[in-house]
Amino acid sequence: MPALRWPRLPSLRLIQQASPWLLLFLALGAIRFSKGAFLNDLYALLSRPFWPGTAQEEWLRSAQQLDDQARLGQLEQDNKRLRGLLDLQRGAEQRITAPVISREAAGWWQQLLLGRGSLAGLHAGDAVLAPGGLIGRITQVTPTTASVTLLTDPHSHVGVWVGRTQRHGLLTGVGTSRPVLRFLEKDPQVRPGDVVVSSPASTLVPPNLTVGVIQSVDDKAVPAPEAVVQLSAPVDAVDWVQVVTRTP
Amino acid sequence: MARLHQQRWCVATALLVPWLSLASPSLVKVAGVSPSWAVLWLLPWALVDGPVSGALAGLGLALLLDGLHPGSLSQIPALVLLGWWWGRIGRRGRPIERSFNLGLLALLGSLALNGTLWLQLALLAWRGGRTSGLAGDSAPTQVAAGMEVGADLGVDPGLFATPGWHLSDLLAAGLHTLLAQTLITALLAPMLCSLLLLLWRQQSSTLRG
Repeated sequence: MPALRWPRLPSLRLIQQASPWLLLFLALGAIRFSKGAFLNDLYALLSRPFWPGTAQEEWLRSAQQLDDQARLGQLEQDNKRLRGLLDLQRGAEQRITAPVISREAAGWWQQLLLGRGSLAGLHAGDAVLAPGGLIGRITQVTPTTASVTLLTDPHSHVGVWVGRTQRHGLLTGVGTSRPVLRFLEKDPQVRPGDVVVSSPASTLVPPNLTVGVIQSVDDKAVPAPEAVVQLSAPVDAVDWVQVVTRTP
Repeated sequence: MARLHQQRWCVATALLVPWLSLASPSLVKVAGVSPSWAVLWLLPWALVDGPVSGALAGLGLALLLDGLHPGSLSQIPALVLLGWWWGRIGRRGRPIERSFNLGLLALLGSLALNGTLWLQLALLAWRGGRTSGLAGDSAPTQVAAGMEVGADLGVDPGLFATPGWHLSDLLAAGLHTLLAQTLITALLAPMLCSLLLLLWRQQSSTLRG
């Protein structure tokens, strides 16, 4: 029975000769255990000159925009058709462009004077849009002028809702540049940043017009929570507005 | 006795007040609030032309300005009283010439004007009624629409009956308007009112002489 022989240790010379290979396998082991970190970095470093440039990013973005616009148009058409099926809209909408000839955006009254009136087909109660969203409603018309009560005016009450949580509220101007949104429920589940649009149930303004963004929420207000809304349309800067008239 | 009101073009300058209120030049605004052009015009007029003419001018101006704004707030009481008061000041004692005095009178006038407006809003809010002609037709419709929605969602319809204005709103927005308008009116008064005062004095002395 042959004696159990201990395996011979490799000689120092052999280890010296094989050391490059040992180092290589050590490196490969490191790569394996780090899940390829070094390899990926190396690849990134080498391929950097061939990465997609800014031009390509712009193409993609414009393509995305085109896609968004097309889908928006489609959805609007679809929405109109469905609303027609539901008999929600009682008359055809028409948009009339009017210049702003006087502006009083702060003070005891907050109103605009438009340079078009009943001769152009405007009526009291029509919603007024500016670039950015709804800004107010027409209060009175003369043959060539119309005065608009802004959403920030204390006399303005418009039914709105928060699209994300689908909660209704009454948007009331308080004389400052930011109107207050008073909710109807105890727990509206809204948070700052939510977008406020005109209520789909409103009989006064067309549905789903952008109004603004919730800036802060006061949960402890009585009788129901309140939120401060920043309007999305810059009232101080509008020169031309669009009046949405309804022909019954 | 001065007879400024007999000169038609002098009376016609009052039309500058609604014109400036409508144009609301952005150069002379503080925090978006225009000065009270009515106070700036009425002060020199009442000082030169006496209490009765001042009160009547105030009434006329207030009627014009109330016509420009929707709602039931009125500037009539403040402007009539200011016209009367400034007319009496102009009649009694030495004539007011120094621009500091004009600035102080305009400051007090603007404070009184804004104070009455604030008081009216506070009364309307306290009464709990909707405060405007607009609300007259829109609020009930809105409330009715809301009630339909509210009934669907199981909301207490009584929530809709709460007034638009709360006292905290009044304090925030009203104080801001009051301070800004008083400040800019009192700053402009020494410049504009002293020029107007000179003009009216010259006119009335040529009329008298």
